[in-house]
Parts: sequence; structure tokens; C-alpha cells
Amino acid sequence: MKLRKTMQIVTAAVFCIFLYGFGIAHILLPDETFSPVENRYLQTMPTFSWQGLKDGDYTADLETYLEDQFPLRDGWIGLKTRYEYLLGKREFGDESRGIVYVCGDKLISKVQKNDRADQNVNYLSQLVEKTDIPVYVAMIPTAAEIWRDQLPEGAESMDQWAYLEQVKDTGAIYVDVGGLLAEHSDESIFYRTDHHWTSLGAYYGYAAFMEALGVTPEALGEKTTVSTDFNGTLYSTSGVHWLTPDEIDTYVSGEGVTVTVNDGQTESTHGLYVEENLIGKDKYTYFMGGNNPLYIIENPNAATDETLLVVRDSYADSLAPFLSQQYGTIYMIDLRYYRTPVADYAASIGADAILVNYSVENFQKDDNIIFMGQ
Amino acid sequence: MVFSSLPFLFFYLTVVLLVYKLSPLKLRNLFLFLASLFFYAWGEPVYIVIMFLSTAIDYTHGMLVEKWRANDKKARMAVASSVFFNLAILFFFKYWDFLMGSINAITGWSLPLFGIPLPIGISFYTFQTMSYTIDVYRQDAPVQKNIITFGTFVTLFPQLIAGPIIQYKSVAEQLMHREEGLGKFVSGVERFSVGLAKKVLLANAIGSMWDAFLAMSGEELTVVGAWLGLAAYAFQIYFDFSGYSDMAVGLGRMIGFEFMENFNYPYISKSIVEFWKRWHISLTNWFREYLYFPLGGSRCSKGKWIRNILIVWVLTGIWHGAGWNFLLWGLYYAVWMLAERLFLGKYLEKLPAAVQHVYTMVIVLIGWCLFAVEDMGHLGRYLAACFGGAQFISANTLYYLRTYLPMLVILVVASTPAVKKLWNRQKENVRLVVSPVLVLGVLILCTACLVDASYNPFLYFRF
Repeated sequence: MKLRKTMQIVTAAVFCIFLYGFGIAHILLPDETFSPVENRYLQTMPTFSWQGLKDGDYTADLETYLEDQFPLRDGWIGLKTRYEYLLGKREFGDESRGIVYVCGDKLISKVQKNDRADQNVNYLSQLVEKTDIPVYVAMIPTAAEIWRDQLPEGAESMDQWAYLEQVKDTGAIYVDVGGLLAEHSDESIFYRTDHHWTSLGAYYGYAAFMEALGVTPEALGEKTTVSTDFNGTLYSTSGVHWLTPDEIDTYVSGEGVTVTVNDGQTESTHGLYVEENLIGKDKYTYFMGGNNPLYIIENPNAATDETLLVVRDSYADSLAPFLSQQYGTIYMIDLRYYRTPVADYAASIGADAILVNYSVENFQKDDNIIFMGQ
Repeated sequence: MVFSSLPFLFFYLTVVLLVYKLSPLKLRNLFLFLASLFFYAWGEPVYIVIMFLSTAIDYTHGMLVEKWRANDKKARMAVASSVFFNLAILFFFKYWDFLMGSINAITGWSLPLFGIPLPIGISFYTFQTMSYTIDVYRQDAPVQKNIITFGTFVTLFPQLIAGPIIQYKSVAEQLMHREEGLGKFVSGVERFSVGLAKKVLLANAIGSMWDAFLAMSGEELTVVGAWLGLAAYAFQIYFDFSGYSDMAVGLGRMIGFEFMENFNYPYISKSIVEFWKRWHISLTNWFREYLYFPLGGSRCSKGKWIRNILIVWVLTGIWHGAGWNFLLWGLYYAVWMLAERLFLGKYLEKLPAAVQHVYTMVIVLIGWCLFAVEDMGHLGRYLAACFGGAQFISANTLYYLRTYLPMLVILVVASTPAVKKLWNRQKENVRLVVSPVLVLGVLILCTACLVDASYNPFLYFRF
């Protein structure tokens, strides 16, 4: 009888201490505005309004606030992911943030075919028709295609080779990035915790482009490791925190190269690499400095003084160092932020060539590719 | 607010329990009434009006029934009026748009649609309040003269939004006198933890698999995949729904109430008749007591009896949602109930138990297909896939089977009384010592899952 009473008190106490403890800790602990682990802004305490209460927005925000600011949030998410992994689950994240497959020692982002995919290929054809400047297309199949054999058996991902076949018919000069990447698929050409290609992967992209130009590519330079604790975007979206962080390498010194950044309002200059970005979470922005509408890269020591226009996504950031060895001036525009008809723009800067450089994943779903057709 | 959420667990429940236990006995019902109103107002504050309206209408009707006790005709009028008001509320919010939309579609008229969101739990609480006037009329329960006490019954948060559907007579006494104490509180904690685990750790985990199969087009589906998807949905709705009922029973015990059981291992049934004795028991009971029996039940001519079965099951169907698929689902069960009672049951009994189980589960799974796939075209494609209108199996189907296999094994075991039997076989001392460990384990894992609440649906928005 005594044991019963004691243990009943223990059970009641466990329940109460857990709920009251975390409830009170939640109130006492200071709120954070940004989560480096998840790489996103967190919901802060919503301000009360009668309208918000009536619409249900206030209580919805309050619920998100309680989740986002919950004590030990990162630890809970890590625990959940480990628990689910233990039970056999191999895909994490969700439709809005993206699905991530856990493939042994690496994370691979699932690519889902977008409704825009076919139309975007048409826009590329229109660009080729609209301009007299040669258009090269260096479309990058992502890790989900190059490393398909490493996905969990039977896991779905878009057929990117089939999409590349469509791209080949656009009339643009096809740069066979995929072929070269596939040849080197046993090397570290993609990060294990991030969706981008590594500098090594980007080198093969550069080599494929040089081949298409009929130029002998520069040899891969000496490797410099600038970071050994890079936890990328897939680390953030999946909640899988137990993998060894990636290292970030460079092969081009970038000496004498200046990068002019136009963020839409102001202009500033720096080198090919932004040292201070290695301290923060999103270390991939070490290359070029992150998403900006326009970069102008100038290298007086380049092989030619020609001008190249790169229409691109963020994969091009790690390609740029290699390209800067070839072209005296490179304009890199991101159509998500620099929304301008591409053909006219290329003419206005006197470009000698246009390079369309996207990953298949981003190209087929981006709703700004329409500017290629205008 | 839903039970399986951080605001409920760490803020609402903690504050409510504390204030409740500190309140003097006389004020506890008042506090519960206010706390329940807050609970209901969380998502849709405007609908708190329905709570007040429901309370006032049914309170008045109860008093009228009592007043006209001597004049049965008048008393019946009062009952009829109460039923009318409750059904009117339910009809207006839940069925108006569906009915008018259907009429418009057939006739080409443009009767007005309101497009108002369905008040959460409306089907549950209108049925509960309807039982009150009827119970008072039948003298199964005394009239409640204290409007606060009555309001507490109407709004009681543990079973307000997802059942069990409490009949007034079963709690009439408890509304005034409740036994509380450490033992009951702890049994409430244990029961609540079981329910929370069922909802968060089991139902949510398998729900994502059903969503994946539901989203597949006709080409992607396979025969094995279609059945796997239905099994996933069957597990999801059972563990979600029965988890909610467990949490309701547990919360009730924490504050001294004893609610009825709502599920009794439905998936071990050997016939459809048995299945409905084990599934959502409070709803079947409600229909039996307040509709089927008054209609004459089975103690009448065969024709009338068939009519009664059809009425009850059509209504059971659309109780679950205003949509053609729910009507179809109700009729589907009416047909199986009639068939088993009329002739099938005799043959079924003679078959080996395994065959009876398979028979029942196949019917139940197809039933869930009617229930869950609301688009008729998609429903047709899905059923076709079930019965061979697709490739048999694919690498992708195997991927889902492989990655969900441990969870599926857990779900199968958890659908049987095996775990409960194992638990009851342990010595009491063992159970006492293990209990807090299990409660802590459930709280830790559920908190982890709720903090990253990327998948935590509330399935009863259509109910």
C-alpha cells in the first residue's frame, strides 16, 4: 500500500514537473529572433489586436511562437529526427521546405517536377532566337540524379536526364556538365549536408564549359580548405544533425580579382571570397557573398578580355572563381532579384557570350525564367 | 485548441489544473465553464456565441419539460422544440452549403451559400445537448436548475471537440458531486499519456504515408500500394480518434469525471456488426437510444426494420461530414449490416476465425476509402487500383513498405489487446514503478514531435 501511494505521487510529480517546468522555463527564457541551426527567422511574441483575435491570426501566431521559442528547441528536433530514423524513416523535411533523403553519410534533396518545367525550356529557346550572342547552357543535374544509386532503394526523384534531353533541343550550345559529373561521381562533387556542388564539382562544370568553347581548361589548382564545420541547408531542413560537417575548399586564389556587388541599392566591392561569412551559419555564401541581383567580376590577369554574362542560380557562386580565370569581365545576374529581359541586357553590356547556369532543380521551378523569353 | 499541442499541454492544462484544484468546490463548475469557453474560443472566438446560445436554449427547454411534466403533450412539444433548435444549428453550419450547393448544381438555380467555416466539434456538442432534454423528459435524469452547472455540461472541454459523445444522464450526478483524489488523478495522467502517445507517436507517424498514397496519380499507384495506403489511413484514424477519446477520458479523471469508453479494439472484429460495437461506441449508442429505438428498432415488421437501419446509417454517414462520399459510406455500412443480419452472418460464423477477420478488414478498408477520398473521380481510380487496375507493385511501393515497416508492426500490435494484456499480467509493484517512467518517456517523445510540428493534423474538422 505504501509503495502504491509513493509511486502514485511519483507519477503525478513527473507529469506536473515536466509540464510546469517547461512552461515556466518558456516564459523565463529570453526569445531568439534567428535560428542558426534551422537557418530561418523565428516567430517572436505576436502583438495583440482584436482584429487578429477575430481572424484567428493572433492565436495561430501565438502557437507558432510557442513552438519556435520552446526551450531546447534544437535538441527536441534532433531527438525527433533520430527517433523517426530509428523507426525506419528515411525522408525528412516537408513539401514547403523540401524533402530530404538520408543516404548513409549524406543528405540528398528530392527533386520534384514542377508544372513550370516545360514552359521554362521554351523560354530558353526564345532567348536563343532573340539574341545573336552565342548562348551556352550549363544545366547541372543535382545530387539526386548523379548519386541516384545512393538514394534509399525505390525512393522517388525527378528524371533529370530526361529534362536535360529537352534542354538539348533548345538551340542553345549544350555544355555537358552532367556527363562530366557522372564520370566523377565517386568524388566529393556535392556537399553532404548542402544541396550545392562543391568547388570540385564546380571545376568539372568549368571544364565542361571550356570544352564547349574549344579551350583547354586550366588544371585544378592547389586545394585550400577554408572551413571544416559547414552544416548546409539540408542539415537545416532535415533536422538530421548527426552527420560530420562538410569542408569548404577552394582551388583558385582569386588574387587581383575584384567583385562589384549591386544589391539593388548600393554598390560595394570585395574579392571572390567573403571571409567573414565563414563565421555565420550559411557558409556557402563565402563564395561571392550570397544572393545578390548583380555581380561584376573583373580580372585583369584573365586569359581573355572578353565579357561573359552568366544568368544563374546560387550554384554559379562556386563556379565563378574558375570562370574568372578565362574572362576579363563577368556579369552575373540572378533573375529572381534582377528582373530584366536577358537578351536586351546582354546587348547593353556588350557580352561576347551568355552562359545559362542553373541546377535542373532550380531551373525547372523558377518563375522568373520568363525574362529569358522577353 | 487541440490536446496534442504545446499551448494546451504546457500552458492551458497547467493553469487550468492549478486554478481548478485551488478553487473552492462551489466555484469549480463556474471555473470549468469559463475555462472551457476559453478553450473553445481559441481557434474561432466568434463561435463562443454558439456555446452561449446552446446553453441558454437547452437550459430553457429542460425547465419547460419539467414545468409541463403533468401535460405530456406540452412536454413533448418542448422536447421537439429543443431537438429542432439543436438540429437547426447543426444544419445551418454544417449542411446548408452542401444542400444548397447540390440543389444549385442540379437545377441551375443560385440559392445563397454562406461559406462560413464549420464550428469545431459542432456535431459532437449538438448531440450531447440534444440528449439532455430527452433524458429529462424520459426521467432518466433530473432537470438541471443551475445554469452554470448546465453550461459546464455543454462546454466541458475534455470531450467538447472530438467526443466521446456524453449522454446527459451519464454525467448528471457527476456535475454536482465528483470524486477526486490522488489515485484518480494518476489514472487520468496515465490514460492521457496513452492517448497522447497514440495521437502523436502513432497516428501522426503513419498519416504521412497515407497522404503520400492519396496524392499519387493513377499511374503511380500500385495494387499493393493502394491497400497499403488504406491500411495507413485505417491506423491513422483509429489511433488519432481513439487517442483523442483516451485523452478526453484521462483529462476527465484529472478533474473528477468518469466518461464512457469510446473504442474497444475495433480492428480485431470478426464481423461488421461487431466492428460497430467496438468503433466510436458513444455515437452508435446515441443513435440507438435516441433514434433507432424510438423508430421501433428491430421490434417491428421487417420492412420497417430495414427502413430504420437505412435511416440510422445514412444519418451516421452524413454526421461525419457534409459530402456525397460520407452518405455513400453510411449506405455502404447499412447494406453490410442488413446483409449480415439477414443471411451473411449465419455463414460467416461457420468460417475459420482468420477468414472472418480478413472479411471484416477488407470491408472496413474499402469503407475508409469511401470515407477518406472525397473526390468521386479520384475515389473511382483509387478503388480500381485496389482491385487490380494498376501494376501490382513498384520499387516505390517497396520503398514505403520498407521505411514504414517497423511502424506498421507496432501499429498492428497496438491495435490488439496484446499490450494491455501484457501490462495487466505484471505484478502491481512492477506496474507502479514502470508507470512514471512510461509517462515521462511519452512526454519527452511527444514534446519532441510537437516542437517540430510539421505534421499534426486535426482530422475532425468535417465532423
